[in-house]
Amino acid sequence: MVKFLKPNKAVVLLHGRFAGHKATIVKNYDDGTRERPYGHCLVAGVAKYPSKVIRKDSAKKQAKKSRVKAFIKLVNYTHIMPTRYTLDVDLKDVVSPDALVSRDKKVTACKEVKAKFEERFKTGKNRWFFSKLRF
Amino acid sequence: MLSSILSVFDTPSFKKNYESISSRLALVMKSGKYTLGYKTVLKTIRSSKAKLILISNNCPPLRKSEIEYYSMLAKVSVHHFSGNNVDLGTACGKFHRVSCLGIIDQGDSDIIKNLPGDQ
Repeated sequence: MVKFLKPNKAVVLLHGRFAGHKATIVKNYDDGTRERPYGHCLVAGVAKYPSKVIRKDSAKKQAKKSRVKAFIKLVNYTHIMPTRYTLDVDLKDVVSPDALVSRDKKVTACKEVKAKFEERFKTGKNRWFFSKLRF
Repeated sequence: MLSSILSVFDTPSFKKNYESISSRLALVMKSGKYTLGYKTVLKTIRSSKAKLILISNNCPPLRKSEIEYYSMLAKVSVHHFSGNNVDLGTACGKFHRVSCLGIIDQGDSDIIKNLPGDQ
């Protein structure tokens, strides 16, 4: 009886190209819109996870391995699995539905999300979110 | 050995619980709002409309865990019905199998207040 599909909730995508990838909810549309008459949400997730960094790695290699590729997507509620985790990164101003209108807007929005994700990954918090789900 | 296992179904406490759940469910079917089936149960949990979820005992374990996890997130109680999907369908008064059902509005029944506490 508690609403749990809220912004900042970490979810796992179940269908599509990003199946098994973790994402965080940016905006909910519980009652849908005219184009999507079902409950769906705007998510920002990890398209390519950062690889494992070992002590031997040079600074250049560490920087290369810690890169995160992000994606933005509108996804149906039935195609996500909510988790008990959250990711408190403020993506509201960066990610908006009009970022999905044209390709170059989407690319610039994804770049900003990537920067925020990388900054969060480097602090060492939210380790679960940036680790690949093996299945 | 088998008879000692099966005899649990003959004890007064088991029969009392089973009958009381079934009778309360019958009242919910008559006077309240409910949904039957996995897809609609998840939908009602997501929209925070469900107040109680019942799962049959032969529900596949992955599906059972999934419903329990969703209910944990939404803080909805789950009751594991002591009977399989055939029995749960009969308890709902339906002629089909019901593996999981969600109660949205209990109507005149007191199933939400009373039952999850008993178990």
